[in-house]
Amino acid sequence: MKLYKKEGNILQILSFPNETVEKGDYLLIEDSDLGKALIAQVIDVQFASIPGILEELLRSLPDGGELIQGEDIDPLEIAPHITYIQDASLLVCKIRATVEGESLSPSSSWLPSRSRSTIKKLPIPTLLKLVKVGGKLPINIGGTKDSSLLTIDASDLDGKLNIITGKKETGKSHLSKLLMLNLVGYKATVVVFDLNGEYLSLGMTLDGKRNAYHDKIHVLTPAQNFRVPLKHVNLQVLLGILIHALHLPGTSAREFRRIWQSLKDRDMLNLHELGEAIRNWHCNQHVRDALFSRYHALVNSGFFTDENASTMLLEECLFKAKEHGGAIIINLRNTSSIDRQIVVEYVLGKLVELLTSWKLKAVFLFAEEAHLYLRETYWDDIVTRMRHFGIFATFITNQPDTIRENIYRQADNIFLFNFTNEHDLEAVSRAARVDAETVKSIARELPPHHCLVLGKVVKDFPMVVKVKALDVKTMGETRLFFKEVD
Amino acid sequence: MIEQYTITTTPKYNFPHPTTDATLPQRLIELSLHSLKTAVNNNHFQLNQQTIQQLFNNSQSLNIKLTPIPLNPRYDTTVVAAVDTSSMKIGETATGTLIALRGATVWKQKGNYRYIRFGPFILHVTEENKTEVYNALQKAYSKTQLESQHQSLQNFQIPTRLANLLERWLQTTLSKTLTGGIILFDGSLTAGTPDTPTSLMKEILNNARMRGNIVLSFSKMTTLRVNGLLITDLSLEQKPPYILEAEGLKTKPPTVLLGEVYIAKLTSGNYAFRLDIDKEIPTEQRIEAVERLLGNDILTQGYPETLRLAHILCTFTANEVIAMQHFATHNYGLKIVNRPNMHKLLFGSFGKGENTS
Repeated sequence: MKLYKKEGNILQILSFPNETVEKGDYLLIEDSDLGKALIAQVIDVQFASIPGILEELLRSLPDGGELIQGEDIDPLEIAPHITYIQDASLLVCKIRATVEGESLSPSSSWLPSRSRSTIKKLPIPTLLKLVKVGGKLPINIGGTKDSSLLTIDASDLDGKLNIITGKKETGKSHLSKLLMLNLVGYKATVVVFDLNGEYLSLGMTLDGKRNAYHDKIHVLTPAQNFRVPLKHVNLQVLLGILIHALHLPGTSAREFRRIWQSLKDRDMLNLHELGEAIRNWHCNQHVRDALFSRYHALVNSGFFTDENASTMLLEECLFKAKEHGGAIIINLRNTSSIDRQIVVEYVLGKLVELLTSWKLKAVFLFAEEAHLYLRETYWDDIVTRMRHFGIFATFITNQPDTIRENIYRQADNIFLFNFTNEHDLEAVSRAARVDAETVKSIARELPPHHCLVLGKVVKDFPMVVKVKALDVKTMGETRLFFKEVD
Repeated sequence: MIEQYTITTTPKYNFPHPTTDATLPQRLIELSLHSLKTAVNNNHFQLNQQTIQQLFNNSQSLNIKLTPIPLNPRYDTTVVAAVDTSSMKIGETATGTLIALRGATVWKQKGNYRYIRFGPFILHVTEENKTEVYNALQKAYSKTQLESQHQSLQNFQIPTRLANLLERWLQTTLSKTLTGGIILFDGSLTAGTPDTPTSLMKEILNNARMRGNIVLSFSKMTTLRVNGLLITDLSLEQKPPYILEAEGLKTKPPTVLLGEVYIAKLTSGNYAFRLDIDKEIPTEQRIEAVERLLGNDILTQGYPETLRLAHILCTFTANEVIAMQHFATHNYGLKIVNRPNMHKLLFGSFGKGENTS
């Protein structure tokens, strides 16, 4: 390989056919005289612009587009040299760091010698060692291209905002389950908004037996085993539901607050009494109607109850998880859009309540397709305000444009699966920790189950990894009509 | 046993090698390897991508019969074959020049074009070995010493002279192997020049004639003029294809003309070429040969496709030049040094190159 050009932090390197370099590979460009080296990642492989190549191709097709047949008597065997030159490739590389002695800096301000520099492939294990990826709480997420393991540190997910994105059926949910289970393994508390019921059987192995996580997975299905007695609901949480999920106007919310306070003072907080109180409350008819319609929405959701016995309390699960680690799976499958929002508002409100009172230390929140249940204002809330309370979110989506640009800007880690659509890639490339060229070039050609890992977990050295298999019932497969036919 | 050259219509090609005299390429290979090895001690060479084209035409005046001979394509199956060679200086060493040669024979048979390409041969020619190289190749080519003045060979002439030797060898081989075909040469049928001895050209034409072939020689450029006009610029009302017969062309001894000169306008448009046809062939057969060419080959811009392909196939592309330089560097340890172009250095953008005056 030969150094050809440097423009900004882009290097162009001439590579010959006997040197197998692919997109995503790392190269070490070493200038021994200066005692420095550049670490660069190949983001594109192109044909080198060889003069005369067009003539070469044209003259082999002069006869109506068909190859002219013939024999070349080439006693000096120059043809292999011609092929060698023709097949030379140009590696477009992004400079990631400068190595000087033992230290690593993100600088690309110096120029290695064109003639003296040696260029070689940097094996991923060497790179990982050099940049100190991994740590005390290792999470093995899979294998890299050269068959080495990529192990990230769980603490690099702690206090961070993560995004897992990619098009359908590329393995996003699989990775989120892997991360989630590993966090649980390190005694972390994890809350999952499970839109499609994919996380329900994580406590089982593939062959249906209980696994090590069985006792740590708590599945809460709203209106079934997850119902909330009204008296356990904080007014602020309920107002949040009424205003944000059920769009209750401000005036009506004020009246509701008075009704609630009145019932609480009389220790009569239950659904029946709430309905009666609204019916008999002295207020404008429109306000009463507004309150009644919301009341019925709350009742119809089946999420609120007056019974204590048949319910599983969120707090209980969270406290259990706090001790030994655990995941609370909020099963949102078969839940209507409004009810979903009610449940999510309740859970988030409850989490903030518990975290602010330091009853919980921190929670890792995994939210699948969050745009389907998270109100607009909550995005910023989760990313900025709630982070300080100790809610560390991981968003999983196949529609990257549903996540706002400012969320991408603040993302600490991005796990990017295949995207072919330019618009989707454009959305992801807005993330602050990633350069658009890398995203667009590498993500487009990722095979299924391969993921481009960007951000703090890989110390800002983007890496392609094949996500490892899990011995758990993942239930993330798409239901197929013709499956039995085969 | 009589040496027999057969044409077999194999699907691959119809010029069998076993009966072909392979002396010249063998000698070329030996010389090539030997000359490159001797260059290793002087292991620097300068890049200079410049093709030296083979051109030699006499500026002479002649009479043209302004009665055009109209042509009707004859479609009776005839093999059309053509020969061309190319030479190029690919770099300079401290003591000499690296020269690349390549030749191609192309033929059209049953509607398909096929080729055999010889080379590239790379030779390291120095002031000391240039005569030796040329003599060795000449000897390999012909048992009789050719009447040339190669002692006074100029350096710039070497690539052209060597390419001509290869071209004559290819022409000889073709004339000895093809039967009943049309053989297309590039240039004129002028002989008696240092690299085209009369005896040699006569021998080639004789061989061709004996096997029922007719040699047609197309010149892309000519300096022959009629009433001050280039013969290829003459325009008539006759609709192409036609040929015009040129008379009165006299050559200075020892140069001789072995062909009858015509102006061939074979397709509409402004393209006319000087066409030399073997003098020994009766006039009717000459015309018939051109008509058979029209019926058996594609003519684009009045030029036969077979000859065009021969030229294209032997021409060196920039990519090949780089590959040959890589070969010389890789296999013989020659270190490439790009010496500054003094014209560019002194005159900047006004310096057009060493060969422009």
